[in-house]
Amino acid sequence: MSLPVDPKVIPKPPVPLEFSVKAESIKITGFWMFLVSDMLIFASLFSVFAVFRSRIMAGPTPNQIFHYGSTLLETLLLLTSSFTVGMAIFAMRKSHAQAMMTWLVVTLVLGAGFVATEIHEFITDVQHGITWHVSGFLSGFFVLVGTHGAHVSFGIAWAVTLLFQLSRRGLTPVTTRKLYTFSLYWHFLDIVWVFIFTFVYLFGKIT
Amino acid sequence: MAKEPSEQIIWDEERGEPGFGFIRPHFHQEIFPTSQIVGYVLSLALTLTSFLLVIHRTFSASPLLVAILILAVGQAGVQVGIFMHLRESRGPAWQVIPLFLGFFIAGGMIAMSIWIMMFKWGGY
Repeated sequence: MSLPVDPKVIPKPPVPLEFSVKAESIKITGFWMFLVSDMLIFASLFSVFAVFRSRIMAGPTPNQIFHYGSTLLETLLLLTSSFTVGMAIFAMRKSHAQAMMTWLVVTLVLGAGFVATEIHEFITDVQHGITWHVSGFLSGFFVLVGTHGAHVSFGIAWAVTLLFQLSRRGLTPVTTRKLYTFSLYWHFLDIVWVFIFTFVYLFGKIT
Repeated sequence: MAKEPSEQIIWDEERGEPGFGFIRPHFHQEIFPTSQIVGYVLSLALTLTSFLLVIHRTFSASPLLVAILILAVGQAGVQVGIFMHLRESRGPAWQVIPLFLGFFIAGGMIAMSIWIMMFKWGGY
């Protein structure tokens, strides 16, 4: 049996910058664990909504308060921002810092458009007396969709701080790891939104 | 640049790549962002399909619910598989196992809540 004569360590395939330091790479795995636990929070809120969605009392039905237009607009904004943050990671892997920053700014603008549309939708509802204490359905709806909107708003604030750090420090194992975890977070919120528009908005239009 | 021992890459020729099966690490490295563009087109197609199905009421209610749920699961698959680079990791991609355990618990929690409440509603 031959012992390994040459203990040379060969990077195969080349590992991207954000995985190049072991401590930073472990933080990426840790962020996946956070996403799993966050997914369970949303699963609980989805269960509550599923249980309460037919409990409308004297309040409006889902069909009366949901609109195809704003739902489609929010969905397209979030899907496109998911693509642009993917492009930011692609540019980061190519070490194109300027392209990466541009894609990240585009992502932020699209995310802000999403939050603005949702806030407008909520304000319009409240002006018509549709608030979360009217019925079980509305409580479940506002808590579920509001929690998602709060996550997106937090993500925007996080990305703004990341933009400052990236412009000051450039691409290092730490900053690239932060942008990578941000992209994971953003795609995760996109998945949650896909289930919200299916399970809340489209289901509400069907039944 | 000399690296700390803890910072060395863990692949080596004797041991081969770490991990096996679906936790074998895999990095997405491309010259042109083909997978991102394909993922974007797929996600738009899946979303617009479910919208059009609902707007035109293609099927009756129950098959329609099942159809758009399947489209949503496909959309989640596109996001996780293409955009989130599920299997990128230095060592074995251990995040895959808790992630699927999480899917299992989340799906079970929602499905069981709906199932148990059916006894009270007499149907969904």
